[in-house]
Amino acid sequence: MKKAQIIPPDDYPQMVSKSDAAKMARALRAPDTAARGATAIQQQSQKLQLAVHDYVRELENAAGNLPLVFEKAHELRGFAETAGLRSTGRIASGLCRYFDEMEKLGTVPDHAVVVLHVSAIARAARAKDEAGRMSDTVVKELAALVAHKVAETKAAL
Amino acid sequence: MRSLLRSLLNSIGVREIHEAANGSAALEILRERSCDLVLSDLAMQPMDGIDFTRDVRQSPRSANPFVPVIMVTGHTERHKVEAARDAGVTEFIAKPVTAQSLFARIAEILERPRAFVRCESYFGPDRRRKAQEGYAGPWRRHGDQHDHQVP
Repeated sequence: MKKAQIIPPDDYPQMVSKSDAAKMARALRAPDTAARGATAIQQQSQKLQLAVHDYVRELENAAGNLPLVFEKAHELRGFAETAGLRSTGRIASGLCRYFDEMEKLGTVPDHAVVVLHVSAIARAARAKDEAGRMSDTVVKELAALVAHKVAETKAAL
Repeated sequence: MRSLLRSLLNSIGVREIHEAANGSAALEILRERSCDLVLSDLAMQPMDGIDFTRDVRQSPRSANPFVPVIMVTGHTERHKVEAARDAGVTEFIAKPVTAQSLFARIAEILERPRAFVRCESYFGPDRRRKAQEGYAGPWRRHGDQHDHQVP
């Protein structure tokens, strides 16, 4: 077996000098930096929510096109929660998990499960009380449905 | 997602940010401009984050095969995360992205840059995160036990 070559950090170009890197890392870990970042997200929340609604519309229009449904759900999982739409993000996350499980099992996702999730995502995103108790129940029920469907598929293989 | 990451980077004073819709477009940017850090989503089309990272690390046309790559990914994609690690990703951030998680990864890259490993089947950051004192093997590489210490 040919020996692996180890290239230490000093032997390849770094972003900044060691002393600057230490200073920058300390600044990045400071609580006020995190607070500034959180404020930046908050300032974007209206814009982010509009983007979430755009993605929800695209998700609804993607019906039947599973790769496109996955792509839109993946985006929603990525930032709906950050935009303040917690339940929308959680339902989208559940749908992505279902796609992942079905891919691992080499099976096509059940159309009804996908449609239910898409409908729940749209309703949650447009609900006035987005993160309310009803949304929590929907998230739990859909997670149970996914678990049941995955178990059913595994048993059938 | 790109808009969110841009806002977060702006909040820490990063001003020069180049955006790309997918891996192929990002490779074009990397060939034309010098970049200090890459933030990539794992799920992109037509070129995903795994193929993109592999190209950055291994392509003879790559402008900077050592550039740190932070991969933004959903927590359910474990098999894909492993594939991304094996393609040469430096750090991962789980969605939903928060200011704290992004800044912590950048701080880690700055403060503890990883050694790179070049072997027949891999080029990228050392995938071994921890030095285990008293580790007795098995050794994956010839000569490891004699002359390699994880930094």
